[in-house]
Amino acid sequence: MPARKLYFESIRVGDELPALAKAPVDRVQLSRYAGASGDYNPVHVDELYAKSVGMPSVYAPGMLVMGMLGQLISDWARGGQLRRYNVRFIKMVWPGDTVVCKGRVSDRHGSGGRYFVEIDLWAENQKGELVMKGGSQIQLFYSLEDENRQRSGQSPIVVEVPRESLVVPAPQTATPEAASSAPSVPSAPEEEDDEDEDSDEPRTGASSKKTAPREKPAAKTASLPVAKKAKK
Amino acid sequence: MLDKNAIGRASPPTLNEVEKGAIRRFAEAIGDYNPIYYDEEYARASGYPTIVAPPTFPASFHSAADLRELLGVGIKSLLHAEQGFDYERPIFAGDRIYVSTRVSDVFERPNMSGKMDIAVIEDEGRDEEGNLVFRARRTLVVRAAKENV
Repeated sequence: MPARKLYFESIRVGDELPALAKAPVDRVQLSRYAGASGDYNPVHVDELYAKSVGMPSVYAPGMLVMGMLGQLISDWARGGQLRRYNVRFIKMVWPGDTVVCKGRVSDRHGSGGRYFVEIDLWAENQKGELVMKGGSQIQLFYSLEDENRQRSGQSPIVVEVPRESLVVPAPQTATPEAASSAPSVPSAPEEEDDEDEDSDEPRTGASSKKTAPREKPAAKTASLPVAKKAKK
Repeated sequence: MLDKNAIGRASPPTLNEVEKGAIRRFAEAIGDYNPIYYDEEYARASGYPTIVAPPTFPASFHSAADLRELLGVGIKSLLHAEQGFDYERPIFAGDRIYVSTRVSDVFERPNMSGKMDIAVIEDEGRDEEGNLVFRARRTLVVRAAKENV
């Protein structure tokens, strides 16, 4: 049976993804990746060539390591949809190196019935040195109920969840995209929503779960431009 | 210094047919044994129409792009500095995706020994109806050959 899915309501900023330690990279894996990706750059597969251009040996293509870190995301975000994934390559990965992939939730936000988590990602070698660093955005259903609603053609559960990184003490802070995608009112949110009002609700936004979505009339002028000016 | 005129140069779309075997071999090469990449029934039970491709699978797509032509220089070496993907939807076995490549930017960045040439190359994948499937963005450190090859 497919693994348990991940839902937005259970995620908190600061949550760590379970670290993924990959098997040591070897030259067979480099050949397999070359074949599978179609990238036959000889620095990754031809030892003599690699040495002739001054390398101690062949080394792993960055994209292989990015693929490993991608596994960390997909293993964690079962049922989610990857929206964005980027990395910066920092250190080479050599045959014999063990890549350990790590990640942490840096933000979560939702608007108009679409929910996203932002993740900081990085990969280390067996010495604990950073070899790659990046980030990702994943779209998730709010909850199992939200998924069931949408899969049966109903409107999504709508909860306005401002980016936690932007949440400031000021009470009237609006979400950045508030005005553009006006949330649609769920047809009958109250009825099916009976028993998950207990203590493990998200810290932000959850209080509005059962009530009709808070409309934010013409909020687009509110917070962002101000924040930009304040930086100067 | 790379030629700024290269910015905007693009290759025509090239058809990539996404095959189950190619997905399997790609996932195996990464050492990722998530059954959604191998097992059609499992993928369906997980809410997908069929077998899914791993996030970096677009790296295996080919396009008609020749970087020497697009950048207008001979290339001595390329160093992959950054990579990013934006996904409109997952890629599935059976997809027919047209990939085109375009030079999005060229510029110089200071480094320890002076300046290095940077090229930003964007791939765009669209389905047969023309809908965007993904965008990929590579940042490359380019060492041009002294003479054109």
